[in-house]
Amino acid sequence: MGAAVAGWTVAAVLLQVAGLSLFLYGFFPVKPTLRGFSGAESYQVPSCGSVSAGEQEPTLPPDQLRSLYRELSGIPPVYDRLVLMVIDGLPAEFVLGRGRKPPSKEMMESMPYTQSLLAGCKAAAYHAKAAPPTVTMPRLKAMVSGAIGGFLDVAFNFNTQAFLEDNLLDQLHMIGLKLVMLGDETWIKLFPTLFTRQDGVSSFYVKDTVEVDFNVSRHLEFELAATDWSVLVLHYLGLDHVGHIGGRRSVLMTQKMKEMDDVIRRVHTASLQDNLDRTLLVVVSDHGMTEGGNHGGSSYEETDSLALFIGHSVESPYCSPYDQKEALQVDLAPTLALLLGVPIPKNNFGVVLPELLNSLTDDQKLRMLELNSWQILRLLQAQVPAFCLEDCINSEGSIVLDILHGSIEKKLCHLLSKAFSSHQSSCLHRGSDFKSVKSGYYGTAADNYYGFLRYASEWLSHRATDKPFYLLVSAILLMTVSCLFLMSTVSCLFKARSLSQVDHHSESYLDQRWHLDEVLVLAGMFLYVISLGSSSFVEEEQYTWHFLTSTLYLIFLTKAVQSMLKGSNPTLGHKAEEKSFDKSNFSYATSFELTPGKRNVYKLCTILIVLVAGRVIRAWHQGGINWVHFPDISKLLAQADSSVVKSLQIISVLAVVVLFSVSLTLLRARPKFVIGVWLTHISCGFLVLLHIWANQISTSLPINHSTASIARQFYVIASVSISVTVLASPWVFPMFSTEAESASSGSSPVKAIHGIRNSLFLTGITYTAFWGLLQLLLQQPINAIPLFLIFLQTVSSVVHFSLDKTLHKQWVQVVAIHFLGMAGHFGLGNTNSLASIDVAGAFIGISSYSTVLSGILMFMITYASPLMLYLGLVLHVSVKDIDDISALQQLKWSYILDKMVTLPCLFPLLINSLALTSYTIVLLLMRNHLFVWSVFSPK
Amino acid sequence: MRAEATQISALTAGAAHLLCFAGLAAAHGLAGRGALVSDPALALRLLVVCEAPIVIAVFSYLRRDAKSCSFFKAVARGLIGLPVGAFLNAFGAIVLGAPVGIKYWIATIYWSLVMSLFTFVPAACVFGASKIDWQNVLSHSIYFTPTDVENYMISAPCHGAVLGAWLGAWPMPLDWERPWQEWPICVTYGALAGYMVGMVVSLVLMTVHKRRVRAKAD
Repeated sequence: MGAAVAGWTVAAVLLQVAGLSLFLYGFFPVKPTLRGFSGAESYQVPSCGSVSAGEQEPTLPPDQLRSLYRELSGIPPVYDRLVLMVIDGLPAEFVLGRGRKPPSKEMMESMPYTQSLLAGCKAAAYHAKAAPPTVTMPRLKAMVSGAIGGFLDVAFNFNTQAFLEDNLLDQLHMIGLKLVMLGDETWIKLFPTLFTRQDGVSSFYVKDTVEVDFNVSRHLEFELAATDWSVLVLHYLGLDHVGHIGGRRSVLMTQKMKEMDDVIRRVHTASLQDNLDRTLLVVVSDHGMTEGGNHGGSSYEETDSLALFIGHSVESPYCSPYDQKEALQVDLAPTLALLLGVPIPKNNFGVVLPELLNSLTDDQKLRMLELNSWQILRLLQAQVPAFCLEDCINSEGSIVLDILHGSIEKKLCHLLSKAFSSHQSSCLHRGSDFKSVKSGYYGTAADNYYGFLRYASEWLSHRATDKPFYLLVSAILLMTVSCLFLMSTVSCLFKARSLSQVDHHSESYLDQRWHLDEVLVLAGMFLYVISLGSSSFVEEEQYTWHFLTSTLYLIFLTKAVQSMLKGSNPTLGHKAEEKSFDKSNFSYATSFELTPGKRNVYKLCTILIVLVAGRVIRAWHQGGINWVHFPDISKLLAQADSSVVKSLQIISVLAVVVLFSVSLTLLRARPKFVIGVWLTHISCGFLVLLHIWANQISTSLPINHSTASIARQFYVIASVSISVTVLASPWVFPMFSTEAESASSGSSPVKAIHGIRNSLFLTGITYTAFWGLLQLLLQQPINAIPLFLIFLQTVSSVVHFSLDKTLHKQWVQVVAIHFLGMAGHFGLGNTNSLASIDVAGAFIGISSYSTVLSGILMFMITYASPLMLYLGLVLHVSVKDIDDISALQQLKWSYILDKMVTLPCLFPLLINSLALTSYTIVLLLMRNHLFVWSVFSPK
Repeated sequence: MRAEATQISALTAGAAHLLCFAGLAAAHGLAGRGALVSDPALALRLLVVCEAPIVIAVFSYLRRDAKSCSFFKAVARGLIGLPVGAFLNAFGAIVLGAPVGIKYWIATIYWSLVMSLFTFVPAACVFGASKIDWQNVLSHSIYFTPTDVENYMISAPCHGAVLGAWLGAWPMPLDWERPWQEWPICVTYGALAGYMVGMVVSLVLMTVHKRRVRAKAD
């Protein structure tokens, strides 16, 4: 039977993995992106066939590059200087109103200067639709690169936050412009080496709405007077903070907008003073905000961001600023690139904004549109390899016929050839004297270009986000099947077990009725699966897990109290229980000769420890999405002195070591081998302490050689001692136990079991303790105490389960341990969004960058708690009640394996697969509701 | 339906529950509609003040060991049980994630007193220190095996209140931004609802049990 069970399980797991990978493939299509940077070739017609791969031009010095670009493009740069002012979270509605209506009077009055510019037609403004996820970093990337990153980009680029794709700022840097950045430090993370001067402010203290902007504005006077920079990036976070605190209608909002308006006025007057009028002021917001001030999703309020341009090229005799002009946020990149005379970034699918070109001649406008089209054509060629300009132009005649029901490629082809041919005819008529004819040709050409560009842009952006429905459904079917497999395996197992137990055991009383904890586990899992259907429950999953775990342990508590009440009642059969305890030779029970009273006290204490530790862990991090800004212990510590954190770290390292030593003393038999393990563990603890100490001394240097070598020593010692333990303990213990116990107890199988058990116990405790130390080394310093608490929870719940073996069924125990792991996972500050993955720890002790190694480390960090508890399961297996088998004296290895291993393995698998399957179903149902982006789980 | 009273204790039980319910209703009337949301501490205080004397008096009257134990001794047991039960309930709530900030203290204390009145005090008044009875309260065997009327009366509302409070906590983390999602408002609503359902269930169980006993007797 064992083999069959294993076979089914493996099949189910394989199916699950296959289904999941299929699903992921369908859900996050890997979009081909073009590597490298656009260069001079972007001013030539893209050729057919090979997508200009190997042509690596010699890198020119910046000045030559600039003049080369100017020469090739045929248009002189319209502006020399750019001020990019990002106002985090400002909805366009505040400035431009909604639905052709100007904004409310209060809003108009709070930005008097900007509104006067708009009314005077000196500024052009768009509702720039931001793509979800509407959070700052991806939006900034979209603005400078013109591309919406595929979601997997985040996963592929975990190693560095620096932005490597082709983008506007790098292009500007390449032609020798000096860049200055003031404001949100996200920019510095994206472009660590680009800025000549920078002053990053952190967006960590959301409560602060004043200092954060003052820290930007204090440099303004100096920078506006300075003449060396060509690009000035200002990123104001205050308005976003105001939104997070008080929502859209916060009393602070108008005040903050007045402040922003004042900054705009100062920058604009300063830019007017250099009288050449070569400065473009761009005021953009990265995203909007909901009524409550949050953002991240895809509602109109969140995606409605502002793009406002102030400069000479936008001025026009008449305008209607509140016309609800729509654009995309990505349009910013090509527009600015063309205006500043650099090539358009390679992966851009934005379209140059028409109002920015007001002051240009028709030919120049068409040339810009042509450049934009060529760039997009290159991108199309990367996506659709057969797509080719010459083919389009040659085969135009035949296409026109089936344009209406042709494929998308054909339609694109048609639009493109139409645009180019009309451009050519417009060029032919350049000499024409009749202005009306000329402008007529220009008009059709421009219209055709925009027709192509808009269509291609839309198609490209859809391609980045569309999801094949049937693929997803089949993937989910696969996963459901595997889930059912697992379920049926488990139920089979139960049937077999209950049969065998009915045969020869007295436990039938326990089996007859459902117990409260079992009911809770089932109901809790059901509630959990249902709760995945609600986005806010997914966001706040940590509450669900903590609630379920605590409830489960509270029920354990009541059961313990109940059994205590029962136990002290002499009428109930206590004798039998006593007898079974006598027989069980296991270390915990017998190393201290526990009286029943003491045993009860221990039972209660262990549960209380788990509960209290759980509550502290829960209070450590205010996780989730909605209530992150609430105070918690970790924020308190972050504000406190760093020595407090260090001492807490040291305390928890010591506590882990001490706990390990105490657990080792519980092994009644103590050969030298155990002492050896203990010594290596202590030395590892010492190394971790050293590491902490070294970090404290040199916090300034991020990568420090002495700490790296300490960490590496730790890895070596830990891995060696763990593997030695695992390999050697089975050999040490059976021999030992035969020596020691041959006199005391009966036949050899029993001793063999004790040997196995002891070695398992040693292995388990070594696993968990070393894991704890490793995590103490890797995790953020602030997580030290929670880690220790999780370790404590593991040990004490295992002790609890070993103390009353009859009280809870084994599968309930396994589930309880799994619950603890999940609660701890969220307690360590992880959330269901990728943002909370701790990247910093992944490089500890790694000297050179390696994706695999740091990936492994990062996986360890992220799943510290569940893995700790799974290792704890080994420990749990060792203290399990297998007395009944030993009593039966019929020792079949397969049977022992069956009893010991299958359940602990199967249950977490089943729970995970249930959760995963239901989660994917939810994702399928909500695939168009874009909360998916904000709460995508790293599961 | 159940009345007509061959069994006097069923009627008494109904009356006792009615009295407790009257206490809740009086507190509600005094506090006014929506007071629990606008000022939870005040409403909970009113609940405690109105409910405590009624519960202690009623269940002391129903004490089990009427001969060996005077009415006032039972009342004293109830008065001691009130803070003890409140402590246990508060511990449970905090472990389950109730906030511990200073501004929640008063509400938490009153809430746990109310919960103590629903759960711990009746048992303390009726059973005293009898371990087997306490164990009966903790277990759910009363729903399957027939026991005394007191057991039904105490266990079902107690379980109902705890279960209701537990279920009432589920909407708390949602981002609906309603005022009643604050601790301890929705938990209190859940507990009250569960308590009332528990009272009804206990009456139903009593009648079913009676009928079964009668049928067996026939």
